[in-house]
Amino acid sequence: MTKDYVAPMGEGIYEVNTGDWRTRHPQMNKDRCIECGICSLYCPVNAIKGKKNGNAKMVFAIDLSYCKGCGVCSHECPHDAIDMIRETKR
Amino acid sequence: MNVIEKLATREDLISPGISACIGCNVELTLRTVMKILGPNTVLAIPPGCMGGVGVVGWNKQSGAKVPVFFPLLDNTASMLSGIRLGYEAQGRHDINVVAFAGDGATVDAGFQALSGAAERGDRILYICYDNEGYMNTGYQRSSSTSRGAWTSTTPVSKNGTGGKRQHKKDFPMIMAMHDIPYMASASPAYVQDLVRKVETAMAVTEGLAYIHIYNPCLTGWGIKSEESIEVARKAVKSRYFPLFEARHRKVKINVKTRNPIPVSDYLRDIKKFRHLGEAEIQELQRITDERYTFLEAMERVSEEA
Amino acid sequence: MSTVDVLNGNKAAAWAARLARPQVIAAYPITPQTPVVEYLTQFYADGQLQCQMSEVDSEHSAMSILTGASLTGVRCYTATSSQGLALMYEPYFRASTLRLPIVMNIVNREMISPQTVWGGPQDSLTLRDAGWLQLYVEDNQEILDTTVQAFRIAEHPEVLLPINVCYDGFYLSHMSERVEIPEQEEVDEFLPPYTSKHILLDPERPAAVDPLTSGYLLREYRKKHMAAQQAARRVITEVNASYADRFGRDWGGLIEQYRMEDAKYAVVTLGSVTGAVREIIDHKRNAGIPVGLVKVRSLRPFPSREVAEALGRIESLGVIDRNVSFGWNTGILFQELRSALFASENRPAYIPFVGGLGGEDITLDLVNSAVDQIVENASSGNQIESAVWLETNDARSLS
Repeated sequence: MTKDYVAPMGEGIYEVNTGDWRTRHPQMNKDRCIECGICSLYCPVNAIKGKKNGNAKMVFAIDLSYCKGCGVCSHECPHDAIDMIRETKR
Repeated sequence: MNVIEKLATREDLISPGISACIGCNVELTLRTVMKILGPNTVLAIPPGCMGGVGVVGWNKQSGAKVPVFFPLLDNTASMLSGIRLGYEAQGRHDINVVAFAGDGATVDAGFQALSGAAERGDRILYICYDNEGYMNTGYQRSSSTSRGAWTSTTPVSKNGTGGKRQHKKDFPMIMAMHDIPYMASASPAYVQDLVRKVETAMAVTEGLAYIHIYNPCLTGWGIKSEESIEVARKAVKSRYFPLFEARHRKVKINVKTRNPIPVSDYLRDIKKFRHLGEAEIQELQRITDERYTFLEAMERVSEEA
Repeated sequence: MSTVDVLNGNKAAAWAARLARPQVIAAYPITPQTPVVEYLTQFYADGQLQCQMSEVDSEHSAMSILTGASLTGVRCYTATSSQGLALMYEPYFRASTLRLPIVMNIVNREMISPQTVWGGPQDSLTLRDAGWLQLYVEDNQEILDTTVQAFRIAEHPEVLLPINVCYDGFYLSHMSERVEIPEQEEVDEFLPPYTSKHILLDPERPAAVDPLTSGYLLREYRKKHMAAQQAARRVITEVNASYADRFGRDWGGLIEQYRMEDAKYAVVTLGSVTGAVREIIDHKRNAGIPVGLVKVRSLRPFPSREVAEALGRIESLGVIDRNVSFGWNTGILFQELRSALFASENRPAYIPFVGGLGGEDITLDLVNSAVDQIVENASSGNQIESAVWLETNDARSLS
């Protein structure tokens, strides 16, 4: 369908650069992290992704692209493995 | 595969960048629910927070990777009934026809449409995210707002009087009494429970499936963003919002809080309740106990039947 | 072979809907439309109509259900009257601005208050600028024929707009006449199946329907919508001709002219009152008075050129409105007409008649008196600015 619509339609994905919003960002400390994945359950922007190598246990990492710095991951982590760090001028 | 791995690997079908408030658990709920529903889904998002933040898109772009549209505030369930009939007319029976609607569009303006669709037995999945008000437009009250809560249309005076006069409408119970095949209340803090309920609702074929999710609103209620999930959890642990299911009115309580926390603990970290005095807090405890006792009685009767 | 039956207007409408093979029907009963819903559900129960039929909870839900269904690309039908039309106004406006070719019969009924159930086009005329096409008919055969044509007009690729076929409550809906019902196979050839290429909800091709829209883009959509209404002028005429070819009945398209060839005086009408006016035209013609009739069929799009041309040599005319326009102190058809006439060089005398409200009859005597007034008005050339009431004796004795 060309975008010369006669009626209101939209195709393609509209993205807001929410990574620009934050004043603090999460930092994972792998020496305390037990890879439970609870942080990934509660991140509202789906920034925490899991990766599995074959049959090994899944491991988690934070992709800051859209992270708004809410702090939920840090708050919910049962082992205090995530710190919230102030953003410096970017 | 456990729920953590499931959710970590399924595709996120919503645009990665939407203008939801920082920490919004409705955004979290929508992404979670869509991972379970999958791409063979048509999604209705009525005017409200999720529409406002861009899930239905802007100008000639969309905010989701599935077909998505704006119903009117008051006709989400009816439009979905029509969509289901349209697909049935074409022999396409396997598409998920889903609403993700706020309490404004569900409990107030859209109630008639929902009640009609439930009574007719139209095969749609209706999910309500209940943040207790018309939050997108500036926190006006809905009939789902808690008693005593500050809202922009039930504000609090300088000497601390005011807030909404009426108790929260017990909407999960109202939908359960529509005798539908499946009704469930859920919470973003209880993820496995939520996922199981979405999967159960998806499998319903004989009528309407309804899920009512309690989403404390950070900006509208005055909650610190990092406490988003903790507050949602406390609503359940205090029994203020019990998690239960009803299949054709037969009730099953899913989370049996053995040592419930007092409702005052739940209210404590929420600014919109800050002005409440002892008497008002007691009243909220009373309604909580009354409704939970009733729910337990219904569960007993359901087990005996 | 078509069959001939005795049908009331509602049954004629139900037959047209049945023949058109809609895929989704959602209709809520309201006097005087209720029998349409009952006939359709009976056809459905007897297996004579295959569709998805919704037992809907209100007119607002009925139009909502159909806007949803139409977005999946299927043919939709419904019917309503007055209060129901008012209740569905919210999704009604949207059906046209989403360019959904839904067909709806409106069984014209007065709007409350005062409390009333009787016929008249106040309901649909008041909503004439919600973007739908609107056609008005005179008798039950025309109901059936025009409703069948309506699907083809609405679904035409240059139109793609919902359409109302309006007929007077009780005068037509509950009155029985001889009606010819075309054969299903003939109608199938006249109405090929509908598929949507312009707006669709389909997981195979994900898209957003109705994203939030900026002003410049809304302007573009409005322009396209208005252009589609203009294209409908040609399409309505073509579909009428095509139908006349196949089924043998020609209703005139946008307007019908009756005995206008050498007319010096004219009556302009909308709806079932046309029948009474025809009789009086013949009666006056027998007495040697050169009067003719212009029946407006299409109110939206308004046939301004056609109307101005038809009335181009008229000295004096009268419009009979079975409705009111409160702020203008005349009827609605009168204003539309006068606006169209302004473009022509002819400046006839005119009288805005209003009558037949709330179930009062517009009798032959009243029409006769109206024509007399039109003729008399020719010499003074008056362009009368406020309603001239056609009142029966009942009203006069009360005041």
